[in-house]
Amino acid sequence: MHIQPILAALRKHKAGTLLIALQIALTLAIVCNALFIIHQRLAHIAEPTGVDESNVFVIENMWGEQYNKQQAAANVEQDLATLRNLPAVQDATQSDSYPLSTVGGSDNFITLKVDQVEPTTDATVYSGDEHFLHTLGLKLIAGRDFRADEVKDAGQRDVVVPPVTIISKAMADKLYPNGDALGKSFYSMSSTPVTIVGIVETMQRSRLGAWAIPYAEQSMVWPIRDASPLGVFYIVRAKPGQLAAAMQEAPKALYAANRMRIINPKDGLMSFAQVRRRAYDSDRGMAILMGIICVVLLAITGAGIVGLTSFWVGQRRRQIGVRRALGATHRDILHYFLTENLLISVGGIGVGIVLTFGLNLWLVTRFELGIMPLTYVLSGVVLLIVLGQGAVFAPALRASRVPPVEATRPA
Amino acid sequence: MFNYYLQLGLHSLKRNPALTALMVMAIAFGVSASMVTYSVFRAVSGDPIPEKSSQLFVPLIDSWGPQQNDHGEPPGALNYVDAMALMRAHQSSRMTLIYSLMLSALPHDANSVPSQATGYAVTGDFFPMFDVPFLYGSAWSNADDDSRAADVVISDSFNQRMFGGANSVGREITLSGHDYRVVGITGHWNPSPRFYAVWGESGFGDPPDFFLLLNRALDLKIDNTGRNSCRGHLTFRSWDEWLQSNCIWLMPWVELNTSADVARYRQFIEGYAADQQRAGRYGWAPNVRLDDVPQWLEKQHVIPEESRISLVVALCFLVICLVNTIGLLLAKFMRRAGEIGVRRALGATRHEIYSQYLVEAGSVGLAGGIVGLLLTAAGMSGVGLLFEPEIARLAHLDISLVALTVAVAVVATVVAAVYPAWRAAQVQPAWQLKSN
Amino acid sequence: MLKMTHLSKVYRTEVVETYALRDFNIDVKEGEFVAVTGPSGSGKTTFLTIAGLLETFTGGEYHLDGMEVSQLNDNARSKIRNEKIGFIFQAFNLIPDLNVFDNVEVPLRYRGMKTPERKERIMNALERVGLASRAKHYPAELSGGQQQRVAIARALAGSPRLLLADEPTGNLDTQMARGVLELLEEIHREGATIVMVTHDPELAARAQRNVHIIDGQVVDLAEDPRFHTAYTAAAGQVRG
Repeated sequence: MHIQPILAALRKHKAGTLLIALQIALTLAIVCNALFIIHQRLAHIAEPTGVDESNVFVIENMWGEQYNKQQAAANVEQDLATLRNLPAVQDATQSDSYPLSTVGGSDNFITLKVDQVEPTTDATVYSGDEHFLHTLGLKLIAGRDFRADEVKDAGQRDVVVPPVTIISKAMADKLYPNGDALGKSFYSMSSTPVTIVGIVETMQRSRLGAWAIPYAEQSMVWPIRDASPLGVFYIVRAKPGQLAAAMQEAPKALYAANRMRIINPKDGLMSFAQVRRRAYDSDRGMAILMGIICVVLLAITGAGIVGLTSFWVGQRRRQIGVRRALGATHRDILHYFLTENLLISVGGIGVGIVLTFGLNLWLVTRFELGIMPLTYVLSGVVLLIVLGQGAVFAPALRASRVPPVEATRPA
Repeated sequence: MFNYYLQLGLHSLKRNPALTALMVMAIAFGVSASMVTYSVFRAVSGDPIPEKSSQLFVPLIDSWGPQQNDHGEPPGALNYVDAMALMRAHQSSRMTLIYSLMLSALPHDANSVPSQATGYAVTGDFFPMFDVPFLYGSAWSNADDDSRAADVVISDSFNQRMFGGANSVGREITLSGHDYRVVGITGHWNPSPRFYAVWGESGFGDPPDFFLLLNRALDLKIDNTGRNSCRGHLTFRSWDEWLQSNCIWLMPWVELNTSADVARYRQFIEGYAADQQRAGRYGWAPNVRLDDVPQWLEKQHVIPEESRISLVVALCFLVICLVNTIGLLLAKFMRRAGEIGVRRALGATRHEIYSQYLVEAGSVGLAGGIVGLLLTAAGMSGVGLLFEPEIARLAHLDISLVALTVAVAVVATVVAAVYPAWRAAQVQPAWQLKSN
Repeated sequence: MLKMTHLSKVYRTEVVETYALRDFNIDVKEGEFVAVTGPSGSGKTTFLTIAGLLETFTGGEYHLDGMEVSQLNDNARSKIRNEKIGFIFQAFNLIPDLNVFDNVEVPLRYRGMKTPERKERIMNALERVGLASRAKHYPAELSGGQQQRVAIARALAGSPRLLLADEPTGNLDTQMARGVLELLEEIHREGATIVMVTHDPELAARAQRNVHIIDGQVVDLAEDPRFHTAYTAAAGQVRG
């Protein structure tokens, strides 16, 4: 197919040509960026927590009275004993927070030297006892678990810096990139060092905002019993397949033991699946919205190409008839329109690639989005070319069926 | 003439149902995507207290210093020592300090279980400063603040829960084991975003159940359940040590009614910071801020990132739908070049042709707006899928959004038709004769 | 009524200038029925488009109903077309999307006429051409002759001073052509000025006066030897 005469013909339809090209350019820019946002969000959602998610649930237990440290600690121990005795329960632990909780607990600056100003990293601190790893199902890959005698009580606004800690592998690698973190120590906003006695394979942070991206999976457990007057999280691991039963019997048993507590009916009792859903609500919503926009956008652009091409075919019936009369085959006419669309698409895509990166850069500066890899643009380009050729096919086929006799009719 | 153009437009739209449907759907989708995301954006970006937002200020003092603050910005709240010093100085017409509380509401009968209540510890100035409406009773006085009274103001919904909605002023209520006297019941009041407590909160959560007298809450060591941020080595082992630490957690607000007041107050906090430096408490030059409500909301990034991105993407989507519409309108109008030539020959002016086609486009826009309204309504019911629940519930379809949806559809389509209609009006009256 | 003096029309392309009309003079009196004849490409259609204010001209003067029109802007020209001129085209030029009634209504609409008067005029015009019963029909549902009658009704509805017809029977068979012609004669008898372009000598013979154009100029038949050959050739074509 000769390109020269097609280009010449397009010059006669400047406005229509420019509009289709512009639409393709804008569609490419939006679809690429939307797909990229979808991918980033889905990747975020897919990050592992290290938790035995299918069997774990969480109770947010607020005290009905303002207990002192000793009372609170005693109540926590009593509750844990109650929970561990339930038939459907495998193990239970207490904490001020848990992976993906988005609430409670604390994030501490971590330094390697006591007087270091610029922190080495930032990590979630979970208070936990000797049941913490087992209850959450965290996999210890080096060192040991806590011993019962290491667990100390922490009351209201009571900073207890323990001598030992268990940290995530991500944090160990960050502090000691040579893989020799076990037995080494660091400072966590404290004047005394904390020694690493255990390393778990994966342990997600409690909070996941954009600010925490550089500190992904940086977290540690301190051997502390949360005896604050406010309340405590109980994390419970059900026996395999008995999650529902355990979730039903646990609050009943707790209220039976001591009714001066609050387990909020709204979100006081949550399976880990619910925890995960809550933590990634906005990510999932964003992915869905971008997905809808992509699909509708491609449909509208496709339909627009069909509409405009149909109009052109209608306008050029006589011209097509003349070509047919002069010996053009069905295939020649079909190819003519397909090539015409390809040329417009290529022009639009050229502009679109610039727009795509422009929009991406803007999103990067405004919204801390990452830089888009080239593969997205390439897939976007392929997608739009296929869309354009697909959209133009039906009107082009109709054009190829214009009979040569059209040539003799008045325009 | 408008009616004639409208008749012609509707007639012409009926002649090409597929093309018309395509344009209507493109506009409807573009407008509804924009409106659904805009409804969320509108809900999170509004001025929560329009009549006073330029008279309410957050005074901040850099208590962490250049090495530990956030890129030179003072931390977003005050530590206990600085907060109390500002309170004692009485340099503004009104001032409050705020921190979050979560308490148990004790049941009256022995068999029921306690329920959770959330609220804030505040001073008496809080209520007149923020124009809190009262259903019964009133705020407590400054004298009550000074006498550290066991006073509480509760919300209408909490009053409903605890007292069945009766006028409970003067009655006792037990919260986490302590007794308080109800002095006032607020009317429904939940500014969105909850500007006075957005440091460490999303600003869109459930409304508070109660407001407790700050000094009383501190006396009872009722802990802050909101954000608490500290620097350096954490050495406190008790409530009293914590109060003296560098941890920031008290949210200060002052009301300053004139620009002279603002300037004077700024001078005062700078002077205070300089005093602290001289006293050796802070080892750096004064670094203070005095932000009004809009500045404060901006600084706290109250509008969720998701809301902004989706609005931007939806608007881009609308632009593409409009480009699509321009192309289709151009095709539709130019297909009728013959008719235009005849009309011109029969005496239609360019302006009349132009108007005719703009009205036709307007009717496409109107149809797009109506379909878009249905899609928007459908989208609003699905908004819970797209945004976090506490934000999604803020979005709603009201009269102004309905009007905006239709208006945007019509205006956008007419704007899209400017070029195609101009092209149509350029058709020469002689054309049709010539071609014969 | 219609007076052109030393009028010229030049089409310019990148390479050549073509004179469609050159030193063109014509004077049509009020109430006349003039046929303009000439071979293909002689400039008769150009003459008609200029006469109908559909196109501008390059030089000379054109007085329409006593008014010099060369300086008028597009809006004023539209107004004159609308109020003073009625057009009858060879290809009828009805708007296919509109029914008969709505087609006749088009020029009245642009005149901003009130509904009752508009309705009365349309129905009168349609009765005049014998198509009142077809008011709700679409052009595609009518025969060629009927379509041309609708076009004439449209031209008449506005009571124009001047009726311009371009080969009004060119697309019709003989019987239909006769009907249309009789209608035009009747309209003329009632006082309208009609200028009709045709290359059909039989048709031209029915007019009061014939004006002949060759190579963009009006020629006197008796004096110009070119006419005889060209005219007979054209006539022969039509008859054949």
